[in-house]
Amino acid sequence: MPLELHEETANLVGVVTVDEVEQLAGWLRTAKRPKVSLRRCNHLHTGALQALLLFKPKISSAPNDAFLAAQVLPLLTGSNGPAHKQGSDPP
Amino acid sequence: MNPLLAQFLAEANDLLAQVDEGLLQLERVPGDPELVNEVFRAAHTFKGSSGLFDFPELTRLTHAAEDLLDAVRGGRLALDSQMTDDLLAAFDLIRGWLAHVTAHERLPASAGGDAAGLITRLRSPLGGGDTAPAAATAGVPAPVISAAPDWLAWFDAEWLTEIAAWLGTTSSTMRFVHYTPDTDCFFRAEDPLHLVRQVPALERLGLVQPPAWPDPEDYDEYTCLISFVVATRAALGELDYLFRYVPDQIEIVELDAGAITRHLSGEPPLTAEEPVTVAITPMIDTELAADARAVLRAAHSALTMEGVVNEGPRLRSVRHAVTAAARALGVPVDLAESGPDELLATVARLAGEAAPAPAMAAPMSDMSDVAVPPPPPMVVPADAPGRADDPGGQVGTRVLKVDQEKVDRLMELVGELNVAKNGLTFLADAAEEEFGSRVLSRRIKDQYAGMHRIAEELQAAVMDVRMLPLSVAFGRFPRLVRDLSRRLGKTIDLVTEGEDTMADKDVIEALGDPLVHLVRNSLDHGIETAEERLAAGKHGAAKLTLAAVADGDAVIVEVADDGRGVDPERVKRKAYEKGLISEEELETLTDTEAVDLVFRPGFSTADQVSDLSGRGVGMDAVRASVEKLGGTVTMRSKLGQGTSTRLRLPLSMAVTQVMVVSVAGQRFGIPVDLVVETVRVPAGEMSRVLHQEVVMMRGEVVPVVDLARALDMPWTLAEGADRPILVVSVNNQRVGLLVEQFHREVDVILKPMEGLLAYADEFSGTALLGDGLVLLVLNMKEVLGLAARVA
Amino acid sequence: MTTVMLVDDSATMLMSLKSILTKAGYAVETAGHGKEALDKLGKGVKPNLIISDVNMPQMDGITFAREARKAPGMRFTPILMLTTESEQTKRAEAKAAGATGWLVKPVGPDQLLGVIKQVLPGA
Repeated sequence: MPLELHEETANLVGVVTVDEVEQLAGWLRTAKRPKVSLRRCNHLHTGALQALLLFKPKISSAPNDAFLAAQVLPLLTGSNGPAHKQGSDPP
Repeated sequence: MNPLLAQFLAEANDLLAQVDEGLLQLERVPGDPELVNEVFRAAHTFKGSSGLFDFPELTRLTHAAEDLLDAVRGGRLALDSQMTDDLLAAFDLIRGWLAHVTAHERLPASAGGDAAGLITRLRSPLGGGDTAPAAATAGVPAPVISAAPDWLAWFDAEWLTEIAAWLGTTSSTMRFVHYTPDTDCFFRAEDPLHLVRQVPALERLGLVQPPAWPDPEDYDEYTCLISFVVATRAALGELDYLFRYVPDQIEIVELDAGAITRHLSGEPPLTAEEPVTVAITPMIDTELAADARAVLRAAHSALTMEGVVNEGPRLRSVRHAVTAAARALGVPVDLAESGPDELLATVARLAGEAAPAPAMAAPMSDMSDVAVPPPPPMVVPADAPGRADDPGGQVGTRVLKVDQEKVDRLMELVGELNVAKNGLTFLADAAEEEFGSRVLSRRIKDQYAGMHRIAEELQAAVMDVRMLPLSVAFGRFPRLVRDLSRRLGKTIDLVTEGEDTMADKDVIEALGDPLVHLVRNSLDHGIETAEERLAAGKHGAAKLTLAAVADGDAVIVEVADDGRGVDPERVKRKAYEKGLISEEELETLTDTEAVDLVFRPGFSTADQVSDLSGRGVGMDAVRASVEKLGGTVTMRSKLGQGTSTRLRLPLSMAVTQVMVVSVAGQRFGIPVDLVVETVRVPAGEMSRVLHQEVVMMRGEVVPVVDLARALDMPWTLAEGADRPILVVSVNNQRVGLLVEQFHREVDVILKPMEGLLAYADEFSGTALLGDGLVLLVLNMKEVLGLAARVA
Repeated sequence: MTTVMLVDDSATMLMSLKSILTKAGYAVETAGHGKEALDKLGKGVKPNLIISDVNMPQMDGITFAREARKAPGMRFTPILMLTTESEQTKRAEAKAAGATGWLVKPVGPDQLLGVIKQVLPGA
């Protein structure tokens, strides 16, 4: 299973496809202090990334996957570019 | 013949017939859109398939025909009879070629020359040069240095500053992509992040957040709200290719240090530099030009050959061809009334004007010589060989495409026929026993024999249709072995042998899982890493062999590796620790017997379980599934040298011969393969060893199992009556089954157990008998296991 | 195992694509036209990817793509259309009908497997 969901923590494992997006978003919606581990995640669907961006769970561990670690994790932690700003009009 | 080619030829035959009929009807009902569409589709399919083979002339000719038909279909061109003639001629030519292909598996040597004229003629109504395939790439090429677009701001400034400095120092540029996915793109199965991660030489990924995030309660997780900005060192061509399915969601610019710096300093971007206008020299499609030149060469040689072309249809057709060639070369000429000499002059002039590119072979300056090398074939269009009334040979052997379901249905019917046939024997018995007519019984039996023979032949014929080569089962392994060996860091050469061995499709299908398990096992446990192998003095690359060979009614499939082999001592110890063997067996088991222990249920140990060869599914599962198919598994292994596992499976599993016996009034089937003999033993000859009933047979002690007791069906045997005993051989061991009564052998179609009984391992399936009774067929191994437990 | 459904009225094309795919370790389902393919989808066949020809009898590929999207479990399944070089307009139509992308005939192993990798995460 690409999603291992517990009360407050979730592990994303392997390839998280579009089929998992609904479940992930549902969990993020209800969990009080969600923590997500990306350690074993190899890819996540854009919809899953988007849900993480919206609900801003704490990312408890960084992905092993090189692309996710180097390019996507910074987007989630706001350390790559002006990701904290809002609005499609560039700053 | 390559089966794909055979298939193509079979299909081609149908397509040719369709095209011919369609074209002829079209001539009667010109412009019928449905007809045009049909012909177009046939030509289209033809072209698509022809591209799979190395028949470039065939592809080009069908391509030309398809383009013409497409124009007709699109209403850009009205089909006239000249075009119909050309199309018919083209497909006649193709029919001739395919007959040649059927015989020689290649096109005739003259194909190029034969096709050239027709291609030119088919293309000429479309207007020569226009037919060159549009060379434009999907996206508009980005001007070399663009003005920095606003969206650059989505990258962080610090990184932009760094990269601008670097680009300045090295006088280089970088490509920047703004990817704005459609909000509903997930519903086209697009995954923008997946696409982005495939960007080669990706330097930096930035995220464009939506103007406002929706309230979590209203959030629709399937609406794509985010966009990406990407910086990459990949070439434009690479980006165009990668994003070819979403060109409208993509903006690509190429920036240098200056453009980025101006963006960073907040200066308004310079207006884009004047777009560089590239002088586009009208270029004639080289393929088309080559065809045109071939036509001219042919026309030239036709005209110079004494007495061949004077007046009449031949001259007209040469004139037609030359006009078309001229148009294709972009030098239209009017040859309406010209005679042979005039034509010849025109041909020479055209050859001069449309001199081929220097790289082209066969210089046209040779045109003035009489001997034109190479002498082109004398086929000038209208005289293309063979019209519809001269099919020019049979194309391909007749192959029927049959739906698998229909074959399955046929098999079912054969099964029912067998059942009905078996019913005759019951009828024969009834004739004798109930109606006292031995003669009638005899005649029914004769009838039965005749039907039996026909049914057997019919069955064999249907079985033959169901046969598939083992290559179907082996097909997945090259990829599997490659992927797994890479993950494990092992070097493995996969060798497959005997892929063309045939077996029933059900057997092939059922073989899949056990084979995957054995191969994974071999990769995971059997084969060592390259270092270990080299240390052991072996070749660094391991060899894994998948081999199949037919053996009478069975097929033998072997999975062999040259890995570390199975250590019989370790296996024995482990089996002893797990309580699978006794201390005595620990001492006495031979190495071969020890290796066989790996198939015991419960042998797979935790330290064997990895994510590759599965979670606790051991070799016992492999043996069980193979035995369910009526096969056997054996393993041979030499420590340090490798392991080979051999599966022996029936070639077909559709029909099983079973021996019917009854116990406690209920009938059961036992696969005839297992039956050694049936005997009646006087009660007095039965004896007991420990708690086991045994009987002496030819000096051998055979244990006797009470089948009724094993199946938990109470009954009592008449005191002193002879004991009907069915002797079976299971795992090379003879066992007697005490039954109530023997019946006959019947052919049955074994159906897998369903519903509640699906979990009853003592039955391998059910079968319908001729008298309508459902027969349970016993899985002897399980039954004997049950018997051992009962005792 | 990853299952690919092939839809084409040309048995030759089916055979060639199927052989490439099975050699590469994919499971393959085939259908001779759109209707047959829809039937299979309706009967619970769940491919991870669909590759369909455009020009087919009974039901053309574009209608099929549109209908397939509505089949149970198929709304996120990548659909690739088999097109020829000259069918540029068909591609836009196919995309509008819900197709993910296209392949250009004749399709070779590298092209086919490359495109599957491109559209199928984790393939």
